[in-house]
Amino acid sequence: MTMQNLTIKLKLTYRYKLLAILLFLMTIYFFAVGLKQDLAIYWLVGISTGFTLQRSRLCFASGFRDIFLMRQGHTMKGILVGLGISIIGFSVIMSTIYPVPNGISIPNDAHILPVGLATITGGLLFGIGMVLAGGCVSGSLYRMGEGYLTSWVTIVGVTIGTFLLNQTWNWWWDLSINTDPLIWLPNHFGYGTTILISLTLIFIFYLLIIKIESSTPRFNIPIIKSSDNEIQNSNFLQSLYPIYKKIFKDGWSPIIGATTLGFINILLFIKFAPLGVVGEISRWGSYAGNIIGYPIPPLKGLSDLSGCSLEEMVQGAFYAHNSFFLNTGIIIGSFSGAVIANEFKLRISRSKMRYAQSLIGGVIMGYGAGLAIGCTIGAFFSAIPSLALSGWLFAISLLIGSYIGSKIITKLM
Amino acid sequence: MDNKKLLDVRGEICPYPMIKTNQFLDQNIENIQQVEVITDHPPALSTIPPEAIKRGFACEINETKNGEWAILLTKI
Repeated sequence: MTMQNLTIKLKLTYRYKLLAILLFLMTIYFFAVGLKQDLAIYWLVGISTGFTLQRSRLCFASGFRDIFLMRQGHTMKGILVGLGISIIGFSVIMSTIYPVPNGISIPNDAHILPVGLATITGGLLFGIGMVLAGGCVSGSLYRMGEGYLTSWVTIVGVTIGTFLLNQTWNWWWDLSINTDPLIWLPNHFGYGTTILISLTLIFIFYLLIIKIESSTPRFNIPIIKSSDNEIQNSNFLQSLYPIYKKIFKDGWSPIIGATTLGFINILLFIKFAPLGVVGEISRWGSYAGNIIGYPIPPLKGLSDLSGCSLEEMVQGAFYAHNSFFLNTGIIIGSFSGAVIANEFKLRISRSKMRYAQSLIGGVIMGYGAGLAIGCTIGAFFSAIPSLALSGWLFAISLLIGSYIGSKIITKLM
Repeated sequence: MDNKKLLDVRGEICPYPMIKTNQFLDQNIENIQQVEVITDHPPALSTIPPEAIKRGFACEINETKNGEWAILLTKI
């Protein structure tokens, strides 16, 4: 095939792929609009989140894990930048709701979660589980869309884990959560000091990672050679190709990914509430429990909690639910990103051990997420910007959990 | 010396493509000149190179087909 033919063929396949995917996404969008306006917004948010995660391969599990496993914080540095931006954005939103914190009330939809034993246990379990399964909840959702069979197994595990947690929730409630305080830092320090403390902590962690990385040599990721590189810039459309390639073909850096995710989160909070993906999976578990004859008992204290607590059962269709459109949007958004980039592939592990790891890791992670009322998104990436103490406690527990997890996985070759 | 080995880590989940490559390089560091790692795990494209560079290998990545890459590691 001559260069000219190759160029034309490539351009056509890209065009058809883009067109087909756009049509598909729009169809579901208008279907959602028909059901309820909000569903369509959550659909768009889900698609953008999935696309962002896929393009930047932003995986919170590797962010925490690689600090121990490789003494490398490429991903974590990105996550920290995203957190910094979200702290500022969330503060602006919350300060319009509560210009002067009165020491008692907390902003309704912000992810301000209990601080106590459940947060620590949840974070530890989640950290171990996500490293064992090779991805956190949002990470596994986007990898479902990339064609990883093990990630589908992980999400089944997470569903089982949240189901088990909901069955034991009341026990945890009486033991600890009942008396665990919801600590919103501006109530104690005011906005200014809280933002300063939060950003300083982020900066210190960033420096710490640079210090950890300094023991390893610097490197540049080599350019990936592919047939796309051969497309020539001879006319206007082709001269746009480098821009197209940067967005749709080359991987984004973790900083770009986490920053984009931060902005998506801020926008969603302006309209509704911060991002969170576990409450919906918890709902799937309860739904399945109802079908097999193990309904979830009435859960204590849920009405006072925000974040990713179990999504209420709604009347009507199973799918007519905001977070259903969010979670499936993440999968489809990632699928679209992978297909456009020529990265989609059915990835089937040949090792039984990996399926066991994915399932067990998923169950542990689901239980931990239920306990901490959120995952790396809801209880961490949305909680620290909500200026909640719980976010920091969950983060430290995640870090310890990932350390334990990385000790375990290196033994499971 | 033409001593090229092939390491297929397709289907592996995160972070095993990188761990397995490290292990392979560590075990064979004396008697290999070149290793071609085949992977279908996109994150491995940014984790395998730094680990290989640490061990004294130069690195080249080629997209071979849909969702698959060949990482060519050559001892410097």
